[in-house]
Amino acid sequence: MEELSSTTHRNGQLAAIAWVRWRLFANALRSSRGVLELISCIFISLGFVIGGLGGGLFMAAMASFFISQGKPGMLAVLFWVVFVFWQLFPIMATAFTNNPDASDLLRFPLNYRSYFLVRMAYGAFDPVTVLVGLWSFGILAGVGFARPALLPWTLLVLLVFAVFNLLFMQMTFAWVERWLAQRRTREIMGVLFVLLMLSFQLIGPLAGRFGKHARPDMQRVVEALAPVQGILPPGLAGDAIAQAVLSRFIVGLSSLALLCAFALIIGYFLHVRLLAQYRGENLSEVAAPSTLPKDQSLRPGWNLPGLPAPVAAVFEKECLYRLRSGPMLLTLIMPIFVLVVFRLGPLSSSRAIFGRTPDMAFPSAVTYTLLILTNLAYNNFGGDAGGIQFFYASPVRFREIVLAKNLAHAVVLAIETALAWIAVSLLYRAPALDVTVAALAGLLFAAPVNFSAGNLLSLYSPKKLDFSSFGRQRASQTTVLISFGVQIVVVGVGVTIFWMAKYFGNFWIATVILLLLAGISLSGYVLILNRIDGIALARRETLVAELCRA
Amino acid sequence: MDGDPTISTQGLTRRFGELVAVDGIDLNVAPGQFFGFLGPNGAGKSTTIKMLTGLLAPSSGRIEILGLDLEKHPVEVKRQIGVVPEGMALFGRLTGSEFLNFAGRMYGLDRETAAKRSAELLDFMQLADQPKKLVTDYSHGMQKKLAMAAAVIHGPKVLFLDEPFEGIDAIAAGTLKTMLQGMIARGATIFLTSHVLEIVERLCSHVAIIHQGKLVANGSLEELRAGVEAQAPVAFASGALAPGEKMTLEQIFLRTVGGSRHGDQELSWL
Repeated sequence: MEELSSTTHRNGQLAAIAWVRWRLFANALRSSRGVLELISCIFISLGFVIGGLGGGLFMAAMASFFISQGKPGMLAVLFWVVFVFWQLFPIMATAFTNNPDASDLLRFPLNYRSYFLVRMAYGAFDPVTVLVGLWSFGILAGVGFARPALLPWTLLVLLVFAVFNLLFMQMTFAWVERWLAQRRTREIMGVLFVLLMLSFQLIGPLAGRFGKHARPDMQRVVEALAPVQGILPPGLAGDAIAQAVLSRFIVGLSSLALLCAFALIIGYFLHVRLLAQYRGENLSEVAAPSTLPKDQSLRPGWNLPGLPAPVAAVFEKECLYRLRSGPMLLTLIMPIFVLVVFRLGPLSSSRAIFGRTPDMAFPSAVTYTLLILTNLAYNNFGGDAGGIQFFYASPVRFREIVLAKNLAHAVVLAIETALAWIAVSLLYRAPALDVTVAALAGLLFAAPVNFSAGNLLSLYSPKKLDFSSFGRQRASQTTVLISFGVQIVVVGVGVTIFWMAKYFGNFWIATVILLLLAGISLSGYVLILNRIDGIALARRETLVAELCRA
Repeated sequence: MDGDPTISTQGLTRRFGELVAVDGIDLNVAPGQFFGFLGPNGAGKSTTIKMLTGLLAPSSGRIEILGLDLEKHPVEVKRQIGVVPEGMALFGRLTGSEFLNFAGRMYGLDRETAAKRSAELLDFMQLADQPKKLVTDYSHGMQKKLAMAAAVIHGPKVLFLDEPFEGIDAIAAGTLKTMLQGMIARGATIFLTSHVLEIVERLCSHVAIIHQGKLVANGSLEELRAGVEAQAPVAFASGALAPGEKMTLEQIFLRTVGGSRHGDQELSWL
């Protein structure tokens, strides 16, 4: 009886949470900004649905093709695609993810099981889940089309695989958040990441060292890795269906059992983390011992000659915020990571990304760097939260504050560009001078456009961000949609100019055109910057209300 | 009032749609006054203080601080005032020392002075023993003290405090009171809102009470007492106060805003 009552109680709580999330959504529609958010959300969802349906059709075609061609083992490739996308997309495009902080619910008498379920439900409602869900449905349809009798079995395998992915994503977020929350573990993770990058860089030189023997060696590596991938979850899911296609149901069942075991293990690790959260752990920095010399607190701010004091102060504050935000640092490393991933294939292969056009690796990396910065540049005040009131109360013009923030973005951009250049040089070859200069000219054009649009959207569509949490750095839907549009235009212009220059075989043409455009975009930037004070004053209520909300 | 007021409003009004949160307030606060601004929840205190500090635009009316029109000279005004708003306006991912340094420089102090004053303020506020702790990890009381320190780092002539004593312990409250009294002694003007009427009674020389957006009382404590006694002599005749006993600010407040405790109501399920 007590158990029944407890279940009823839990169901009531879960219903209440679902209801409150619905009311939050519905109440947001009372303002014109909320309606705008809804419209943006619809557009973005359409994009996801199109991507999902397109991907789903592709998956269906491939699954059907593999089975009809007698190559069911290749189904594992589709599962690997789903797995990689499911796990990487939320990290690479945090603007699209929507993971509210479930720990806010801990003030209520929520039992642990409900808390776990809520965390899982939050993960399940991510746009990426819908996208990969459609892809998975594609696999189901493809297998069902080729072998209708296998439909129930495939559905079961896909369901277990989906549960595994949900658990894995939540576990990754929970543990990475834990590790990035404290200085010591953050440093260890940083070192590990650098080591990983270095080990990736060895692939190129090693392949080169073996020269013409590289292809058979690579073949042997692939052959050696095939069984390894086969005992990992995506491989197991693919194998469970492949064995069923070959009528080896016992082997297929054992693959599914192993997949379940993986899900259980991952679930256990997630449970350990969530239980610690549930019990009320404190993830903040460990307080430093009080024996520190007292003059530590006398350290003056950064000396930045040439910058007015308020601009220097805000610039310093922005840099400290970046350095203390593990999730933000990880996001900023992504362009280099993507370059490494793209480089994993053989350079000479025409199918490899940048295989035929390694010259385009640097401009592409610069473009991706700019895209990654969108989340910051289009929501300048998101991380300031209640601090926005300080800006309004201080005797500093908003254009100085915004300029300082843009300078901080520009420094991040410059550092990332330099790192990208080094990475491209190591992974591919040193970018040619004309390509490098053209890419930098492109940056001079694109950055002011993005900063201008970002400055306006930061005031018109602000959204509070939590720099300390992983995967909860979502900009407003309006910002996401408009920034997406701006990026399409900017990148489209850049690509057209580069294509034209390549066609004429002279990248200096691109440099000249892009520098002319940079002049225009810089003028536009200054024009908007000069109007920021008026806009900020007019928008102060919205900003304070949005950013100071608990 | 002698000389020009430090804070002056004429017809200050703020509407939120149909709701008139602040309704045509005329207020004058003289230099050196410790001014308490009281009112029940939702009366318009925070809205008023936000308008006085430039955090919220008035719907109509005029604000002058130190003789300067706030709308025309916002930066000049802000240079001379300090503010601890409702949400404290802190930057959570900085350490206390970094935040004070930042605040000092935003108010125009040079790097060395900002650093020196930061250290002194942290020491005074008893926040210096954990220099590497981020503001977000401070307790509520520590954050309040830090917000106060940031508001005074540039030595403002006028200080606006929205509920400075809310949620802080007696030791911290004592520290803040010492600092505020020191500022008054040196000629600064302080405008504060608080629900802790005992503290207001002890600290403030002048008090104004706002109710449903309108100013319903304004003056020194003696003036308010005289006003209430003149309006409700029955209470004294009925023996609510002993002969010679003065009305407390709480009694003045309750009579002015017509508060009642609903003592006859019961929550039977509680």
